[in-house]
Amino acid sequence: MVEDSRPSWENPMQFVLACVSYAVGLGNVWRFPYLCQMHGGGGFLIPYLIMLVVEGLPLFYLELAIGQHMRQGSIGAWSAINPYMGGVGIASVVVSIFLTIYYNVINAWAFWYLFHSFQGTLPWAECPLSSNLTTYVPECEKSSSTDYFWYRETLNISSSIEDHGGIQMGQALCLVLSWMVVYLCVLRGTEATGKLSDLADPKAWIDAATQILFSLGLGCGSLIAFASYNHHNNNFEKQAIVVSLINSATSIFASLVTFSIYGFKATFNYESCLDRTQLLLINTFDLTEDSIKPDNLDDWISHLNASFPDKFATISSQIEGCDLESELDTAVEGTGLAFIVYSEAIKNMGLSQLWSVLYFSMLLMLGIGSMLGNVAAIITPLRDSAFLTRHFRKETLIGMMCLFCCLVGLSFTTRSGNYWFTIFNDYAATFSLLFIVLIEIITICYVYGLKKFEKDIELMIGHRPHWYWKITWSVVSPVLIIGLFIFYTADYIMGGTPTYQAWDSNLGKTVTKEYPPYAQAVIGLLLVTSMICVPLVALITFIKKKKEQAKESKIITTAT
Amino acid sequence: MVTYETDGQDAYKVRLSIKTALGANAYEWNESEQFLFRATLAFAMRKYTGQETFNVSSVIVCDETPRVSFWFVVTNPNNTATLIPKNAVEEAVRLSRNRINSAFLLSDKTLQFLGIPPTLAPPSQPSLPVWLIVFGVVMGIVTTGILALIIIGFIQRKKKEKTIEDEDEEEKQERIMENGISCETLEGKDGVNNGAYSHDEDRLTQL
Repeated sequence: MVEDSRPSWENPMQFVLACVSYAVGLGNVWRFPYLCQMHGGGGFLIPYLIMLVVEGLPLFYLELAIGQHMRQGSIGAWSAINPYMGGVGIASVVVSIFLTIYYNVINAWAFWYLFHSFQGTLPWAECPLSSNLTTYVPECEKSSSTDYFWYRETLNISSSIEDHGGIQMGQALCLVLSWMVVYLCVLRGTEATGKLSDLADPKAWIDAATQILFSLGLGCGSLIAFASYNHHNNNFEKQAIVVSLINSATSIFASLVTFSIYGFKATFNYESCLDRTQLLLINTFDLTEDSIKPDNLDDWISHLNASFPDKFATISSQIEGCDLESELDTAVEGTGLAFIVYSEAIKNMGLSQLWSVLYFSMLLMLGIGSMLGNVAAIITPLRDSAFLTRHFRKETLIGMMCLFCCLVGLSFTTRSGNYWFTIFNDYAATFSLLFIVLIEIITICYVYGLKKFEKDIELMIGHRPHWYWKITWSVVSPVLIIGLFIFYTADYIMGGTPTYQAWDSNLGKTVTKEYPPYAQAVIGLLLVTSMICVPLVALITFIKKKKEQAKESKIITTAT
Repeated sequence: MVTYETDGQDAYKVRLSIKTALGANAYEWNESEQFLFRATLAFAMRKYTGQETFNVSSVIVCDETPRVSFWFVVTNPNNTATLIPKNAVEEAVRLSRNRINSAFLLSDKTLQFLGIPPTLAPPSQPSLPVWLIVFGVVMGIVTTGILALIIIGFIQRKKKEKTIEDEDEEEKQERIMENGISCETLEGKDGVNNGAYSHDEDRLTQL
C-alpha cells in the first residue's frame, strides 16, 4: 500500500534530530545518574554499554526499518506485516496514550518552577513565616525550604492517595499551557517537528537493560511513526547507530553534571551540619565563639561529654553525627531529583535566578521534545486511518487528542495527583513495553521471517544487514527480554502489596504506605489494557478469517 | 543589694555572636561594651514606659561567659528591691529591638534575647504574583502562534482548492494517456527504486 502524498522530512538531519529529541528526555537527566550511583558509579557503565550494543541498538534499528519500509504508523505497519499481529500496533498506541497523559504533567511542573524563577529571592530558598510572624512554618522547618516548596506550594499534596482534594489552579494552568505548547508544535503535522536529540549484582544488569529500552523509547510506536515519513532509501542503519550513541552520550554527560551537583549538595549539607553542631555546643556550654573548629569538633564532643556528662545528656539527642559519606549516599529518584535536589543546589549558587531559568528551560526542552515523539506515536496511526482523515481535518484531530489528554491529565493536578502520577510513571510504560518489544522481535524474526526482512532492508539501503544484527534479533535480544520479563513478574509477585511514599506534613518527611485496593486495580488495568490488545486482535482476525472462509466455501458449493 | 537567681522569673539571657556577625571587624567585649548594653536597655525601658527614671544602674547584669552571654534583670527605679516583670521587659525590648541591634552593629540572629523571638520581616508580596505575569506573557505568545498557524493553514487550503479547480478545467482538455495509465500518477514520484539493480552508495541519502 503505497501513498504517494505522504509528507516527509525535509532532510535526513531533521529526522535524526527528531529521534534524538524524542530519545533524549528527562530519563537521561534524572534516572540514569540515579542508577549509576545506586550500582557503584562508573561501574554501571559496563552493563549499560553492553546492553546498549546487544539490545538497544538492534531494537532501535528494527523499529526504524519497519517504519521506513511500511511507511505507516504502528497500527498499519504491524497489520501489514501480519494481519494477526495488528494488535501490537494498537498496544503501542495505548501505551503511548498513557504516557502522553501523564508525561506532560512534568512539563507543567517545569513551567511552574520556571515562572517562579523571576523573583528577587527564589521562593524555595526561604521558608515562609507563620501567621504570627515570629517563626517559620513548622512543616517547612522540619523538612527544608525546597521540600516545602515542592510538596506544599507546588503540589499541595495530601497525606495519602485516598485523600483527593481539589484541583490546584496553578498546576492546572501550567498543564493547560504545556498542552498548548505541544499543540503548537504538532499542529503542522508531526513530520515538521524536527528540531535542533558491582557487576556481579544481577540487578545492575537488569536495570541497565531496562534503562536502555526505555531511554531509547522503544515499543511506543514513536520511532516507527518518525521513520514512516522517511524516503524509502534513507540510510537508517547509520542513523540508528548515531541516535543511540547520542542518547547514551547524553546520559553519561548528564551523570557527570548530576554527580557534581550531588557533590556540591552533599558538601554543603555536611558543612551546614558541622556549623549547627558547633553552634549547639558553644551555646550550651558558653564557650568562646571560635574555639570549636570542624577539625577539633570530635575532640570537643568527647571532652565535653566527659567533663559535663549531665549537661551533655540534655543535648545529646540533638547531636546529629555529620558524615559526608551518608550525605553522598542519599540519592533521590524520579521527580524528586529533578525538582527538589536541583532547586536546592541552585538556590545556593550565585546568580541563582539565572541558573534557575536556564535549568528549567532545559528541562522543558527535553520534556517537550519527548512529548512530541509520544504524540507522533498516536497521531500517525490515527491519520493513517482513512475514515478519520476523511471526516476530520488534521488540526481538529490533533486538537481533540490534545484536549482529551489535557482533561484526563487534570486529575494529576489534584492534591493526591502526585500519587496517581507515580502509579502511571511506575506501571504504565514499563512492563507493557517489555511485552510489546518482545512480541515485535518475535513477530519479525519468526512470523514475518528474518529472510524476508533482510530482503526488505536490502531494497531500502542497498545491502543486507550484518550477521551481528541477525544474531541479536533472533537470539540474544529475545532471550534477554524474556529474562527481564521473568524477573519483573517474580519481583511483583514476591514483593507483596505494592507501597508508595506519602508526604507527612506533621513530620516533614515521606512515609511508606500501602496502596488501597482500587489503586491496585488501576495498576492492573494499566498493565492489562495495553497487553491484551495483542491476543485480542489476533483472536478477532482469526474469527473474521474463519467467517470469510465459511462464506467462500458456501459460495463455491452453491455455485457448483 | 538585690539578689536574684539566674533562670529566675524575671531574668532574661542574652547571647551575642560578635565574631560571626563582624568577622575581622569584631570588637572586644569588655566593661565599656557592657555599659553600653545596660544604657541601651535603660533607654528601651524609658521609651516603653515613658518614665524617665530608668538609669544604667537599673539594669543588672551577671553570669558573663566567654561566649559572650549573660543574664540581666531590670529593677524598678521607684523601688529598687523589686524587679520589672518579664512581660514588660519583653515588650520594651521588642519595641526598641532595632535600636538595640544597631548600637552593637548586630542583627536579630546575632544578638539573641532567649525567650523573645524576633518579629521576622514578612516578605514583600506584590499585588499580583510575579509568576502569573510571566505565565500570562507566555500563554499569550503560544495562543497567538496557534491561531496564526490555524489561519495560515486555512488560507493555504483555500488556495490549493482553487488551483486544483483551475487545473481540473485544463486537464479535461488535454489528458495524456499512455498504456492506459495516466501520466499524472507518476508525477511527484522519482520512480520506484529497484534495489536489485543499484548497489551504488551514492543512492543513499547522506547522514
